[in-house]
Amino acid sequence: MSARPLRVVGRPVPRVDGLEKVTGRARYVTDLVIPGMAHARVMRSPYAHARVRRVDVTRARALTGVLAALCGADLTWCEPYYGPAYRDRPVLAIDVARYEGEPVAAVAAVDEATADAALDLIEVDYEPLPPVITLEEALAPGAPLVHTGKPQAGIFADLSTLRPEPGTNICHQFHFARGDSAGALASADLVLDDTYRFPPVQHYAMEPHAAVAVWSETDGLTIWASSQNPYSVRVELAKMFDVPLARIRVVVPHLGGGFGSKTYAKLEPLAAALARVAGRPVRLAASVAEAFQTVRRCAARVHVRVGFRRDGALVAVECDADYDVGAYADIGPRVVQKGTYTATGPYRVPHVELAARAVYTNTTPGGAFRGFGVPQLAWALESLVDAAADRLGRDPVELRRQNFLAHGEEFAPGDTPIDGKLEESLSRAAEAIGWTRASAADRGRGVAAMLKASVAPSVSEAIVRLHTDGSVSVLASAVEMGQGTRTVLAQIAAEVLCVPLARVTVVQPDTAVTPYDQTTSSSRSTTMTGRAVQVASEDVREQLLRITAEALGVATRDLTLDEGAVVAPARRLPYAEVLLLRFGMSGGELIGRGVIAPGRTAAPLGGSTPFWEMAVGAAEVSVDEETGAVRVERYVSVADVGRAVNPLLLEGQDEGGVVQGLGHTLLEEMLYADGHLLNGTLLLYRVPRADDAPEALECHFVENADGSGPFGAKGAGEGSLIPVSPAVANALARLTGVRLRDLPLTPERVWRALRARR
Amino acid sequence: MNLTMVVNGSSHELDVAPHSLLLDVLRDSLDLKGAKRSCDTQVCGACTVLVDGQAVSACTYLAVEADGCSVLTVEGLADGEALDPLQRAFLDAGAVQCGFCTSGMLLTARALLRENAAPSREDILHYLRGSLCRCTGYRKIVEAIMTAARTTR
Amino acid sequence: MLRPFTLHRPETAEDACALLATLGEDAAPYAGGTELLLLMKLGLLRPPHLVDVKRIAGFGDIADGTRLTIGATVTHRTLERSPLVRARCPLVASVARHVANVRVRNVGTVGGNLAFADPHSDLATLFLTLDATVELVSPRGRRELSLAEFVRGPWETARRPDELLASVRLSPWPTGTGAAYVKFGVHERPTLGIAVALRLDGAGGRARVADVRVAIGCVSPRPMRAEAAEARVNGVAEAELGDVTGAMADAAAESVDPADDLHGSAEYKREMVAVFVRRALRVAVARARGAELSASFPHAVVA
Repeated sequence: MSARPLRVVGRPVPRVDGLEKVTGRARYVTDLVIPGMAHARVMRSPYAHARVRRVDVTRARALTGVLAALCGADLTWCEPYYGPAYRDRPVLAIDVARYEGEPVAAVAAVDEATADAALDLIEVDYEPLPPVITLEEALAPGAPLVHTGKPQAGIFADLSTLRPEPGTNICHQFHFARGDSAGALASADLVLDDTYRFPPVQHYAMEPHAAVAVWSETDGLTIWASSQNPYSVRVELAKMFDVPLARIRVVVPHLGGGFGSKTYAKLEPLAAALARVAGRPVRLAASVAEAFQTVRRCAARVHVRVGFRRDGALVAVECDADYDVGAYADIGPRVVQKGTYTATGPYRVPHVELAARAVYTNTTPGGAFRGFGVPQLAWALESLVDAAADRLGRDPVELRRQNFLAHGEEFAPGDTPIDGKLEESLSRAAEAIGWTRASAADRGRGVAAMLKASVAPSVSEAIVRLHTDGSVSVLASAVEMGQGTRTVLAQIAAEVLCVPLARVTVVQPDTAVTPYDQTTSSSRSTTMTGRAVQVASEDVREQLLRITAEALGVATRDLTLDEGAVVAPARRLPYAEVLLLRFGMSGGELIGRGVIAPGRTAAPLGGSTPFWEMAVGAAEVSVDEETGAVRVERYVSVADVGRAVNPLLLEGQDEGGVVQGLGHTLLEEMLYADGHLLNGTLLLYRVPRADDAPEALECHFVENADGSGPFGAKGAGEGSLIPVSPAVANALARLTGVRLRDLPLTPERVWRALRARR
Repeated sequence: MNLTMVVNGSSHELDVAPHSLLLDVLRDSLDLKGAKRSCDTQVCGACTVLVDGQAVSACTYLAVEADGCSVLTVEGLADGEALDPLQRAFLDAGAVQCGFCTSGMLLTARALLRENAAPSREDILHYLRGSLCRCTGYRKIVEAIMTAARTTR
Repeated sequence: MLRPFTLHRPETAEDACALLATLGEDAAPYAGGTELLLLMKLGLLRPPHLVDVKRIAGFGDIADGTRLTIGATVTHRTLERSPLVRARCPLVASVARHVANVRVRNVGTVGGNLAFADPHSDLATLFLTLDATVELVSPRGRRELSLAEFVRGPWETARRPDELLASVRLSPWPTGTGAAYVKFGVHERPTLGIAVALRLDGAGGRARVADVRVAIGCVSPRPMRAEAAEARVNGVAEAELGDVTGAMADAAAESVDPADDLHGSAEYKREMVAVFVRRALRVAVARARGAELSASFPHAVVA
């Protein structure tokens, strides 16, 4: 590759969809109007656990204007269970409702008012059953079972080895070990042993889930869905309705936020079922309150034991983590694996014993959420590392530096070696927060570091089309949910093909048009989908060079691309002319293809991570000791991203990640009492506001072009969130001497801890 | 009931049921999809529109209350192709991510700047107490509003 | 989506009350709708009739006199910006500025707020220190109740079904009063709200605290005056205030009746009452001296 300076990659170009968003023209699923569209409403279980004895929809069905009224028992004509890990989740409850808010019946009607009225006409007989709400309740011997019977496994290769414990609420177990942790702990100079808790929290993507589905004889099933992975939705629908993949089309317009809440099928199966029965397009839009009853983060109770040598070497980590995945597994089993896999954080640890369990409870299903199991573990480990530093009389920054994995070092056999310089992120963060400067008497500083693997194996494919006028279409199924992927993909294509950014159009994800992409999550889109776009663009470039070389009788190595033209020693051919040469007429296009599919490897999770996400967070806090209210005065995030394809968008991502992290650190918690969610609306669930963000918030990036993504890029977006809670808690501990183990650090919790200290 | 209102400079005469919400009339009857339904409890601000210059939660506002009033939605901010300084500032600052809060943020900021042409950071934070964003962390939004205030002056 | 209803828009109080009398439980008075429409959206209320009181003559007025009369449909925003309110009861304008958010303030009314009787009402708490009375109109005529008599409990008032809250009257504090309203809490609604007002009688080093008013909201079934706390400082020499502040704060904490809920445990709330009564007192005393104490606390608003 030429060493020419990059023209558009690495520049803070404005996002390509910005204009439509500031003018109100951007379209989200709930903005779509499909002619003949009917409106759906869902009746949900008021009980956390109940036998559904009878659901009578006949009166609803008979109401004028009702086009479909369904309950679980009606779904005999399709496979009613879906789920990426276990196919354990029915479209509508069958025989039993397993959480408050579970869909039990649904209607589609000519308008919303009729749909509302129809819901009033549905009769349901419930027989309440004892629920299990907490991990303790769910794991108690003889606890009521959320699921009885044996669900089928879902669709993912890395979950082909699901390991439930029959007769319990444990639906998956993960275990990883090396060395002799028991022996190492026994001989360690310092052993710390503690249990940390991470609460159930809600994504609150401001756009709740929505789908519009329509069946037709000619096209099969078309569904516009607010989904982060349309291909996962497609495969679920294919299985459910026994329809070939080629006859299911999932289209994704703009997403009003995702954060993991819109991965894997959520409302799409129900929308499709209603549309099938209604014989018309059906729009199913959840309210925010219903989003609270659709998916959340997996809560966790993490018991960690760490062993240090006197000289500060971290010699052993043992971890026993229970994740509450709610009533249905969703992608919970992978969250458990993924989180636990890096329970040792970014450190070199010779002796390791990690065990984790995914546990069912009768609450909103837990699924993917930015961080994907790692925040829960990092909360525990990074707090303990600081506690160890305190006991060893060591500076927490230096203790981390001492134990960091080095660039190129192995994390686990078969997996990708560490592809970044953790110490560089740490140094930058320490400097930016002023670590070595004395802090004011009423301020404390803390740091935390993270390491996370991205999903592997995974597949991303892309097509790039060069048109006769030299403009370019990029076809890739990475979903734009605000993170800026459409812009980044355009930048990559524009860079490789040497065309202005404005000449590149990224087509919206549409499984009938844009090729397979596994998921927009796991910080992977720039690296994996971006690489696919890069390869596809290079394919087009090679074609341009070959065609020109042949026509001019020169070698391709004597040709370059520049500003929409192929440049030869004596001539300059704009792309339009190259196509004319190729096709002998005005017409045709060059099509390039990129397939990124590293495949399965011997790595413990079934595939080698395409990159390691690594970042450091540093916080400076103050506390009002009389009330326990913590203020984050300053926060610095440093992420090792290889190459920032768009520094402006990346900075925005990470600023958002930090503030979202402050949410679960200080404010957010879904509270249950007797199976009932107490705070399932924004009136009672507190997300960060503008005045919660630290006035001094800095996001920095380490760019050593050492990633496997385009131009040396790696992934980002989760690394900024994960260190927040331990960095803040570490700062609080250094300021006050109190160490809290439960999130969020509400004023009352801090106040109690401060009182207990005296 | 009769509803006559000027929306983004154009007069509309509609017959609406008393229980119609302004948000639904704007989105469904007038095809102005910029205002969004999110929290539905007046907390998040995604549905913000200006009625006679004042920010209201269109999701909790009877359409008939706008009778005889002038309504501004995000679609009315630009003057043809010329963006409002706030729109320009949001774009330049990178203050837009998923875009779902953007319409509400822009209109809230517009109302603020009409009331206070030189807001301090505190003034902006006070005004944005009811405008949530889950993507940006707010920093670039506040910066954009400060920039637009300077540009407008 | 709201369920259908008939919207009535009477232009006189008589017509409005007649409607309420006729329709009984089928009718709900409607002003800003910030609480009512929310309850209707949640399906907790489904009134077939709404009686819009915003066109009733006089309901939107603010009138001066010995007392300040604020019409029921005056919005929080109007209160915040009214030159009259700022002149006669400046703390009311300051507090109104911090209720909920700008959209709720633009539309939500004082009358609606008082009649809804949310225990977390800032205005209801503050008004207790201003000897507030409410005027109720009905087919039977008018009656006036103290605010304390009007607000009976959480979301419960003395308003009869055919009565309308027409206005609230406040007695502005005498010149020289220093006052502060502090609210604290992480959530949308405050966890506690405390109003403290007092005068310093006498000059120089011989001043005595006089006319103390302390009201506490959010932490009891309804906002209340904390008379025991007031008694601890009333008449105390200014120089000795520091000695009695603790007792005052303790008395305030003992006077409330908090429940364990989302906002915190009862124990924590009592403690915070003590903390914020002390803090509000310090600000009020400074203001009574003609000074301004710069006070800012995380998750608190000092008005």
